[in-house]
Amino acid sequence: MEKIVLPEIENFHQLDVYIQNAGYEAAKSAFTQTTNQIIDTVKKSGLRGRGGAAFSAGLKWSFMPKNNDKPKYLCVNGDESEPGSFKDRQILERNPHQLIEGTIIACYAIGAKSAYIYVRGEYHKWIKLLQKALDDAYEKGFVGEKMKETFGTDFSCNIYVHKGAGAYICGEESSLMNSIEGQRGYPRVKPPFPAQNGLWGNPTTINNVETITNIPPIIKKGWEWFSAIGEPKHPGTILFGVSGHVNNPGVFELPSGTLLTDIIYKYAGGVIGGKKIKCVIPGGSSMPPLRGDKLEGVKMDAESLKAVGSAIGTGGIMVMDEDTDLVRVLARIAKFYYHESCGQCTPCREGTGWMLKILNRLVRGEGTSKDLDLLITIAKNIEGNTICALGDAAAWPVKFMIARFREEFEAVVKDEVSLEPKNKVHSMRHTANPIAPVQV
Amino acid sequence: MPKIIIDGKEIEFKPGQTVIQAARENGIEIPHFCWHPSLSVSGNCRLCLVEIEKMPKLVISCSTTATEGMVVQTQSEKVIAARNAVMEFILINHPLDCPICDEAGECKLQDYTYQHSVGESRFTEEKNHKEKRIELGPNVMFDGERCISCSRCIRFCDEIVGEKELTFIKRGDRVTITTFPGKKLENPYSMNVTDICPVGALTNRDFRFKSRVWEMAPTKTICSGCARGCNIDLWTRNNEVLRITPRQNEDVNSFWMCDNGRLNTFKHVNANDRVSGPHLRKEGQLIKCGWDEAYAKTLSELKSFAKDEIAALASSSLTVEDTYLVSKFVRSTLNMKNFDFVRKVVAGSGDAILIREDKATNAKGFELMGVEPGKSASGGGLKFDEIISHIESGRIKALILIEEDLIGWNPAFEKILSKLDFLVTISTNFDASTSFANVVFPASTYAEKNGTWINFQGRIQRIRPAVTTIEMERSLDGMSQSRWDKFGTDFDSWGKAKKNDARPTWKIISGLASAFGTKYKFTMAEEIFNEIAHTNPLFTGLDYDVVGENGVQLKTETVKKKVTI
Repeated sequence: MEKIVLPEIENFHQLDVYIQNAGYEAAKSAFTQTTNQIIDTVKKSGLRGRGGAAFSAGLKWSFMPKNNDKPKYLCVNGDESEPGSFKDRQILERNPHQLIEGTIIACYAIGAKSAYIYVRGEYHKWIKLLQKALDDAYEKGFVGEKMKETFGTDFSCNIYVHKGAGAYICGEESSLMNSIEGQRGYPRVKPPFPAQNGLWGNPTTINNVETITNIPPIIKKGWEWFSAIGEPKHPGTILFGVSGHVNNPGVFELPSGTLLTDIIYKYAGGVIGGKKIKCVIPGGSSMPPLRGDKLEGVKMDAESLKAVGSAIGTGGIMVMDEDTDLVRVLARIAKFYYHESCGQCTPCREGTGWMLKILNRLVRGEGTSKDLDLLITIAKNIEGNTICALGDAAAWPVKFMIARFREEFEAVVKDEVSLEPKNKVHSMRHTANPIAPVQV
Repeated sequence: MPKIIIDGKEIEFKPGQTVIQAARENGIEIPHFCWHPSLSVSGNCRLCLVEIEKMPKLVISCSTTATEGMVVQTQSEKVIAARNAVMEFILINHPLDCPICDEAGECKLQDYTYQHSVGESRFTEEKNHKEKRIELGPNVMFDGERCISCSRCIRFCDEIVGEKELTFIKRGDRVTITTFPGKKLENPYSMNVTDICPVGALTNRDFRFKSRVWEMAPTKTICSGCARGCNIDLWTRNNEVLRITPRQNEDVNSFWMCDNGRLNTFKHVNANDRVSGPHLRKEGQLIKCGWDEAYAKTLSELKSFAKDEIAALASSSLTVEDTYLVSKFVRSTLNMKNFDFVRKVVAGSGDAILIREDKATNAKGFELMGVEPGKSASGGGLKFDEIISHIESGRIKALILIEEDLIGWNPAFEKILSKLDFLVTISTNFDASTSFANVVFPASTYAEKNGTWINFQGRIQRIRPAVTTIEMERSLDGMSQSRWDKFGTDFDSWGKAKKNDARPTWKIISGLASAFGTKYKFTMAEEIFNEIAHTNPLFTGLDYDVVGENGVQLKTETVKKKVTI
C-alpha cells in the first residue's frame, strides 16, 4: 500500500536521502506552472484539510486575494494539542523535508513570501528536528533567496519555525496568528476570515502540517492519481493515530475510508486482553464518541463518519474497552477543555467550568439524573454560540457521551431528584415593571 | 439608502454599519455588554446574538455588517434562548452582591437580568473566587469576581487613551484583569473605565460606597475644569454633589472626561469654607452682614475713589450672562475702563484627547463678547498685567475681584492685593484672596446657577443648577430630583440639607448696580441671555431651549469682527 506522507524509506528525514528519492522535484515542477494551475490541481485532487474541519485545501487557497499589494502569509499548523492526536509529530520526525517542500509550493501558489510553521511548545525535540531540516534546506538553497537560483525562478520565500507556548487554543487558526504576532492567544471574530485579514492584518492561509505534506506528491503525480486513493469525497491517505486499550498503539497511514474495525484489529493489534470495546472516539477527544457495539462497517473518512454521527477530526482514534469508566473519561475530557478554554467569550469560559463541576460531582457519586439533562443543556448552550470551535469541542463530548452512553451515567446518579434548586431566587422577571432601555 | 429588516421593521442603514449600529440608530436596542459605540468590536460577550436569514448559526450583531435586504430577528425563540443561556452563563459565577455594589441601579447586568434572564439559577455549585478590592490605580478599584471579562476597559486604555495599561491574564474562567508589570492604571482618563464597565467590577474610588445611584439626582451640565467644556452629569443627594460622570456629546467629549475634571471640580461646592451671606471686614475680621449693608458699604467705599483708581478683574470662567452684566455694570454704571479677565493658561498641560491648556471655561466667551481692555465703547482700558502693576505702584487703590482667587492661582499676587485700600470680592469660597477683602459677596458656584459657557471651539453650552441655595427650591425651580427629593417628608433628614446664602454673580452685580442707582430688570439668567441674543448678532436666534442639552456651535468666524459691547 502506498505511503504518501510517511514513506517507508530509511533516513528519509535526511536531506540527501530525500533528494535521492526525487526530493524537491515537485517544487521544481511547480515553478514551471502558474499559481492558478497549482491551485487548480490541488482543488481537483480533492485534498481536504487534515487539521479537523476537512475543508478543501485548494478552495482555501483560492480565497487568497490576487490583486492585493499587501504581503501574504502562510501558516502551517503543527500545534497538535488535541488529546488523542499525535500524527503531525511523525511528519516532523520522519519526513520534515516533504513538509518544507509542500510549504514552498503552497507559498508560491498563494503568493506568500513568508511562512510560519507553528509547532506546539511541548514538542521540543521535534522543533529541533524540524529546525535542523530547515537549516539544511536553506544551506542547499531550497529555501530563501538562494532558491531563485536553485529552481530557476524569480520566486523566493522564507520559512520560520515558531514555537508555541503550551496553549491548546493556539491551534485554532486565528489565535495561532495572534500568538505569532505576540498577542494573547485569543481567537478572532470571523468574519473577516484570514484570507482577508490574517497575520498582521494581511491575507493569510493556514494549513495543517499533514495537509501541506500531501502537496508535493500531488504536484509530482497529478491530481488524478491522488483523487483515486481511498474514498472519492475525501481522497488520499490519512494518518490515524490509535491510542487507548489496544495492543499496538501508533500512527498508521492508511487510505481514507479504511474500516475502523480494521484499523483497530488489523493494524493496532486488537484490544488488550481480547476485551470488548465500549467506546471509540474516532477523531481526537473533541469528536462525538461511537458506541463499541456500533462499529461494524464504520469507514474512516469525513463523509462516512458524519453519516454515523461523528467526525474525522484529526484522525486520533481513542479506543476504550468494556471496563472503562466513561463518567471519569468524560470528566477528564471536560477538565481538559476547562483548562484550555481561553476565557474570551462567555459560553465557553463559564460553561466549561460548570460542566466540569457537575461531572466531578457525578464522579464523587453526588449527581442526580437531573444533572445529566442539565449537562446536555449546558453543552447545547455553548455549542455554536462561541467565537471559535473550542466551544463545540468542549460541548460535543459531553452532549454525545451522555446521549450515547446514558446508562453508564444513570448508573452513578441518585434516582431521588430534588426538583428545587438549592439557591432558588425569587423570579424577578415576573415582578419587574418594564424598564427603560438600557443606556450604553 | 440601503435597508435591512429587523424584527419585521424595515430600517435604513449607512453602508458599512453593523447590524447593532443600524438597530441602535433606529431605536432598536440589541442587548450587549462588550460592544461600545466608541470602541473596537471584540465580540466576546455573545449577548448580541441574532438570527439572520440564510445564515446557519446565530451571529453576533456587533460584528456582522448590514447588507441590503438582510432579514434579522432579535426576538425569535432561538435568539431568546441563546440570550437566556448567555445571561445564565454570566450569572453563574457573578456574585449576588447587588445590595452592596456601587453599580447597582445603573448596572447593565442587573438591567438585562430583569429584561432577558429567566430569573432562576440552575447552578448549584460553588462559585469561582477571584481577587477582590484590587487598587488598579489611584482612582479605580477592581473586583475580579464581578468582572465579566468584556474587555471594554482594556480597549478604552489601548484605543482612546493610547496607554497600554490593562490586560487580561490567565485562561478560562480564571481570566482576570490586571495592569502590566510595573504599571498602574493612572492615565489622565482612567476613571472612564468605571463608566463603561457594564458591571460593578471597576469602581470609582472617590465615590465608592457614598450613595446608591437612585438616591441621587443627575443634572445635565458642563465640566468646569478647562476650556473643553465636557458635557457631564452632576450627581447630587441631600443638596450635596457626590460625583461627576461624563455625558455623551460627539462634538465635544464623546463619552469621556478626564480624571481631574471628575475629581477636582465639585468638592468646593460642598466645602465648609463656602461663603454664605455677605461679609464685611470689621476690626480685622470678616463678619456676616445683611445684603443691603454690604451693598451700601461697597457703594460708599467705591465712591471715595477716582474712576481711574478702581479696577475690576473677573474670572474667565464667568458665565456669558454674568460676563454681560458685569461688563455692563463696570463700563456703564461705574463708567470705569480698567476691566480685564484673568487668563488661566497652563502651558504644556493639554493633550490631544480632551484636556486643554486653558483652564477657564469661558475665555472664548469673553473674547467673542468683546470683554477685553480697549474693546469697550469708550476704549483704552488697562490690561491685566497693567492693572497689576498699577496696583503695585499705588495708582489703582480699589479692586473688584469677581469669582477669582488670584492668590490661590499665583501666590505672588499676595503682595499685590495687600497694597489695596479697598478690595471687594464676589467669591464662592473663603480663600487666600478673601483674606484681604473688605467686602465679600457670596457667589453661587457653577453647580448652583443657570448660565452658558462658550468652549474653546466656540460652542455655547448650558450649565444648570444641581445644588440649591437658600433662594432656590428644587421642585419649583425645575431642578432634577432623585426619589429622595421627590418623595421625602418633613421627617426625613435629607429635607434639611444645608443651603448656602449665595447668589449668582449677575444677581449680586444687579444688586450693586441698584445701590448705584441703575436698575436692571432681570430676574433670571435666561432673561439676560435673551437680551444678549437680541443685541449681539453672534447669538441671534438662540435661547436656552435652542442651546439645549448638547449646545450649539456659534458661527464665530463670520461675525467675530463686528462684535463689541
